[in-house]
Amino acid sequence: MGTVVSIDIADDLPEARLRELVASTCAWLHEVDARFSTYQDDSEVSRVRAGTLKPADGSADLRLVLDKCADLWRETDGYFDAYAAGPLDPSGYVKGWSVEVASARLAAAGSTRHHINAGGDIRMRGTAPDGGPWRVGIRHPWEADKLAWVLAVREGAVATSGTYERGAHVWNPRTGKPAEGLRSVTVVGPDLAVADAYATAALAMGEPGLAWLAKRVADGYESAAVTDDGRAFTSPGLPVA
Amino acid sequence: MRRSTAAAVGTLTGAALILGVRLSVQPVGAPVAAEPAAQEVTEEPAPDESSAAAKKPAAKESSKGKASAKPTEEAEDESGLKNGTHQGKAVQNPYGTVQVTIKVSGGKITSANATYPKTGFSGTINPNAVTKLGQETLKAQSAKVDTVSGATFTSQSYVTSLQAALDAAGA
Repeated sequence: MGTVVSIDIADDLPEARLRELVASTCAWLHEVDARFSTYQDDSEVSRVRAGTLKPADGSADLRLVLDKCADLWRETDGYFDAYAAGPLDPSGYVKGWSVEVASARLAAAGSTRHHINAGGDIRMRGTAPDGGPWRVGIRHPWEADKLAWVLAVREGAVATSGTYERGAHVWNPRTGKPAEGLRSVTVVGPDLAVADAYATAALAMGEPGLAWLAKRVADGYESAAVTDDGRAFTSPGLPVA
Repeated sequence: MRRSTAAAVGTLTGAALILGVRLSVQPVGAPVAAEPAAQEVTEEPAPDESSAAAKKPAAKESSKGKASAKPTEEAEDESGLKNGTHQGKAVQNPYGTVQVTIKVSGGKITSANATYPKTGFSGTINPNAVTKLGQETLKAQSAKVDTVSGATFTSQSYVTSLQAALDAAGA
């Protein structure tokens, strides 16, 4: 997926066990990459794109991912679009989903306290090493070494989409132009894949995305956003530390 | 987004219109009829939002329905919907309190209105009452954190990121 994943397990487990857990998490993430990558010709996604694999004949995971992408396309009024660039590219969902699964697997394997940070999108469980909630910094959208907010989260996900890291890479499907208006959108909620999709969709909407984000609070997704001209917005229930 | 807002308004209008129809075909019970109607409105909001766009035409249809229901209303005239303004009981629902008011003139319901919660999150039934994101001053702070959320960085930019520094510190 072309990014870096940090895994932090805070459980009081023997070092060898911790290494096993990290190794199995990495193996799963590499497996996902091999199956869903748009860069590898033999991945399921590439074969769907090439027309040599019908989605209905794909793996259960592929069908689940495509179903969820369709759900999110509807939920976001079309702003989250796995076909935004033309051919199928579900990476926007796959990254969060794969981390959700990784975290659930860690929990099933006995880790109740961990966080996984995949390129700035985080799923966490339990408590941090100091026994309190995980302290999650939200990167300042102009000053790379500063934080705009610090959140306190025990169970849940924090996803941020922004234009400051890879430039204008999110497109507004209505205008066909790069998204503008919002520089950074962070969404906090129970599911990382959904939080990530919401953050991306709001970024694509531009400033009207602020009102759209306000409505997601009812579903348990809080948010923080910064406009291109430096105005900051937060939902009332954002878990600020 | 523009479409979404318009659609949400459509839903609200639709709810009011449907409410009007329901009230008009209520059996004679007179002013008290506002009460169950209020509950009907409050039970339905949740599914409306996502398919709001689709509901807009439905709202128009129900307004036609209202027109065609007129003869019935006139029939009720004899049985006596009392003229005046009648307020339904305030009904609590998970989104807050909803209260319906109807105006009866000449034995016919001439308007139906509902007040919606002003506080809390109630966007699904009243788009105007959505608790907006609050504006605040953008801070630039340094603090001890366990992890950093930010726009997806590439393998290259990770090297210079705050997260990389955290990972190095933890290693």
